[in-house]
Amino acid sequence: MAALTIENVKKSYGSTQVLKGINIDIEKGEFLVLIGPSGCGKSTMMNSIAGLETITEGRILIGGEDVTHANPKDRDIAMVFQSYALYPNMTVRQNISFGLEVRKMPKAEREIQVDKVAKLLQLELLLDRKPAQLSGGQRQRVAMGRAIAREPKIYLFDEPLSNLDAKLRVEMRAEIKKLHQRLGTTIVYVTHDQVEAMTLADRIAVMRDGTLQQLATPQEIYDRPVNVFVAGFMGSPPMNFITAKIESETLLSIETKGETYHLPITQGKALASYIGKEVTLGIRPEMITEPLAHKAALDYVKVLNLTPLLTEAMGADTMVLTQFGDMELKCRVNPSYLVEVNKPCEFMFDMSKAVFFDPETEELI
Amino acid sequence: MANKRPFTDMLADSMPKLVLAPSFVIMMVCIYGYILWTAALSFTKSRMLPQWDFVGFDQYTKLMANDRWAVSSQNLIIFGGMFILICLVIGITMAILLDQKIRQEGFLRTIYLYPMAISFIVTGTAWKWLLNPSMGIQQIVRDWGYTDFTFDWLVNSEMVVFCLVIAAVWQSSGFVMALFLAGLRGVDQEMIKAAQLDGASLPTVYRRIILPSLKPVFFSAFVILSHIAIKSFDLVTALTGGGPGYSSDLPANFMYAHAFTRSQMGLGAASGMMMLGGVLAILIPYLYSELRGKKQ
Amino acid sequence: MIYTQKTSPIQKLLRVALYAVLIFMAAIYLLPLVVMILNSLKDVEEIRSGNLLALPQDPSLAAWSKAWSSACTGSTCDGIAPFFFNSFKIVIPAVIISTLLGAMNGYVLAMWRFKGSELFFGLLLFGCFIPFQVVLIPMAMTLGWLGLASSASGLILVHVIYGMAFTTLFFRNYYVGLPRELISAAKIDGAGFFLIFWRIVLPLSPPIIVVTVIWQFTQVWNDFLFGVVFSGVDNLPVTVALNNLVNTSFGGKEYNVDMAAALLAALPTILVYVFAGKYFVRGLSAGAVKGA
Repeated sequence: MAALTIENVKKSYGSTQVLKGINIDIEKGEFLVLIGPSGCGKSTMMNSIAGLETITEGRILIGGEDVTHANPKDRDIAMVFQSYALYPNMTVRQNISFGLEVRKMPKAEREIQVDKVAKLLQLELLLDRKPAQLSGGQRQRVAMGRAIAREPKIYLFDEPLSNLDAKLRVEMRAEIKKLHQRLGTTIVYVTHDQVEAMTLADRIAVMRDGTLQQLATPQEIYDRPVNVFVAGFMGSPPMNFITAKIESETLLSIETKGETYHLPITQGKALASYIGKEVTLGIRPEMITEPLAHKAALDYVKVLNLTPLLTEAMGADTMVLTQFGDMELKCRVNPSYLVEVNKPCEFMFDMSKAVFFDPETEELI
Repeated sequence: MANKRPFTDMLADSMPKLVLAPSFVIMMVCIYGYILWTAALSFTKSRMLPQWDFVGFDQYTKLMANDRWAVSSQNLIIFGGMFILICLVIGITMAILLDQKIRQEGFLRTIYLYPMAISFIVTGTAWKWLLNPSMGIQQIVRDWGYTDFTFDWLVNSEMVVFCLVIAAVWQSSGFVMALFLAGLRGVDQEMIKAAQLDGASLPTVYRRIILPSLKPVFFSAFVILSHIAIKSFDLVTALTGGGPGYSSDLPANFMYAHAFTRSQMGLGAASGMMMLGGVLAILIPYLYSELRGKKQ
Repeated sequence: MIYTQKTSPIQKLLRVALYAVLIFMAAIYLLPLVVMILNSLKDVEEIRSGNLLALPQDPSLAAWSKAWSSACTGSTCDGIAPFFFNSFKIVIPAVIISTLLGAMNGYVLAMWRFKGSELFFGLLLFGCFIPFQVVLIPMAMTLGWLGLASSASGLILVHVIYGMAFTTLFFRNYYVGLPRELISAAKIDGAGFFLIFWRIVLPLSPPIIVVTVIWQFTQVWNDFLFGVVFSGVDNLPVTVALNNLVNTSFGGKEYNVDMAAALLAALPTILVYVFAGKYFVRGLSAGAVKGA
């Protein structure tokens, strides 16, 4: 039985439709990340699951029970907000136990529960402070503690890390993941940060303009994005897109600035119907590298001359923006591969993970 | 679906509406209902008691022909115009002066502001002595040796309306200053720094950058001051009693006198409606821009 | 605040001029108060023969005591003390009720919006600005029918009704500034309408409660129009009594008593202002600048 079922959910404000029929099933213990650019409807989706907004059409089931019209309090969910939304007038202890108190849990049990949560999140020393006396990371932990204390069926996280600085964000990200592994809880997590999505999720739901674009594991989304939007949205720096023509089941050609270049194809069968037609080739920056001797003999690599325009040393590797005809390509090379700006040099295209999109529909071929 | 929900849930859902309901009823009756009621009365020949004999616009015709009404509306235009203008000028000037890192700013602010805690009755009473030629400012200056000094506006029917302006400005200008001071403190400091780095002089910064950004404050102050001006009733009662004669009457006094002491309810209602019309002429553009601003 | 660096002689001169202007203005604002205090301590003869600005030669509180307990206000000669207490009897309930009403209304309008709640707010906002002359006659009749004409309860009711628009506006504008997520979190925690108000929103409200209470206190205490129209002989508020006292002319004018009475009538609001005005101005100007 699914822990959470979202069935053909639609939501409109007046004439603007923000959710256009979303279907998602979430298994018990699953960590689902909702991601998409701002305005894609992910926060509305989250609020609809919480019951903070009513949906126009469709059903929402939690643990098999229809909660479409239930109040937030009757859904057995907990939510961690972007602003944390800690009650400023209450101490940390009161913040954590408020939900239990409202649900009429006896005082003694409440205290045990608060202590348990405080220990889990290392909040023991902060229990009698007010939120204003806490740092951002501590507030974040209290917000999680408040959610955990109730032991709900589902946790909702609404961009919980976006108000933290970069270092703390990485720490808290790991902490949330550990917590999930330890407690085995079902989590729906909204973010616009694709690194968070990749690292945390069991499955990622990519949304755009109120529609679900793709629902799959992080690796699948990364390797086999269903369309140009998902391909461009997930991955940093984003995927390179090149207009190419399929020549045969093993070869494509790229025509730019009057010159024609050829690259090998590995997914020839799937592209059979496109022979002689144009497609959009998608290739991730890490697949365009310095020439690697151990790959040189493989039939899916090809070395071309590109002109570096800009280099960005990231430490572990170096990003190089290059000129390829009238296009700009991002490449990821080993820092030891020294390139000079404006001086053409060799780059190796590894086509084994290249993806192809129909130029009309922008769908994956 | 909704009818399957328990009654307690439905009650909880309608709680906000239930809480607002009494206020809604009161508002609809005691503001809008009463306005309609007054409007209806203004079309009757009611005198001491309401009489529902409708006479069309007779009361309004009578009002227009009434010299006392003419004087009081003219007074309102002079009084209101000068009061608002002077309050704004003093308020802005003082706010800018106080915004120059003044020592003891809090103390000075308290002095400028205390008049607004005082009722117009007390304000009127106090200024009545100060403006009284035989004991107030005129006498004080004469005592200093300037025996020809004359300041007798309070007993001069041409000038008495300016006495109202003086007292009202004394009472309200500090409040306007406070509004602008708060506005000045809310101006983005980085914007000012940027302008200074661009080489703008201090007066230029105020004229070109800061004051234009205070447009909403101008607006609020203007509306609040017009409101005070139109309903000024107690100030006139305490300061001049409407005199000499009825030369310093304002519409509010006219309305009160006719509706409650001279048994001319129909005429009083008509004058009340005219006052409402005056307020609406100022308020509707304001509310319109307010609500439009909120939508964005 | 503008950042300046070097101080040339001209700038120093400007600075002196600046302070001179500010102090001069302060003197003007203080003038009426000073005149009233000085002359309330003189006797009638000294006022008549001397200068309003002269210091009292023989300061005495006789005028104050007469103003308080034995000066004539219209028909009675018990000073303004009884009216002073009348005002309190009206002000205290009126302030408490209208503040509570405003808090609940503001809470709904800011945090539990529903279809039509913005319209309600717009209609109410308009109520802040109507000239009361346009509701006086129907209100007088209504109070008559309710049997509340000339009673303290009637006057309280009127102040509550016409104060409600402002108190609602204050609370609504303040609550709009509180994070909406706070309410969402409380809803998810299982709290309902009243529990959220009581446990979350009200504990965050002291700043706006101070503003509203001061505003309402000042408004109701200083009111003259409603007092003169709706109150009876037994419950005239102090503003009406003061006006009667000043305009009563039995024999010679006792300016010293008048001034003492005026000061007494102004005292409560001045005290409130001096002790709590800081919070009031802060809150009021914030609300008004945001768009009253």
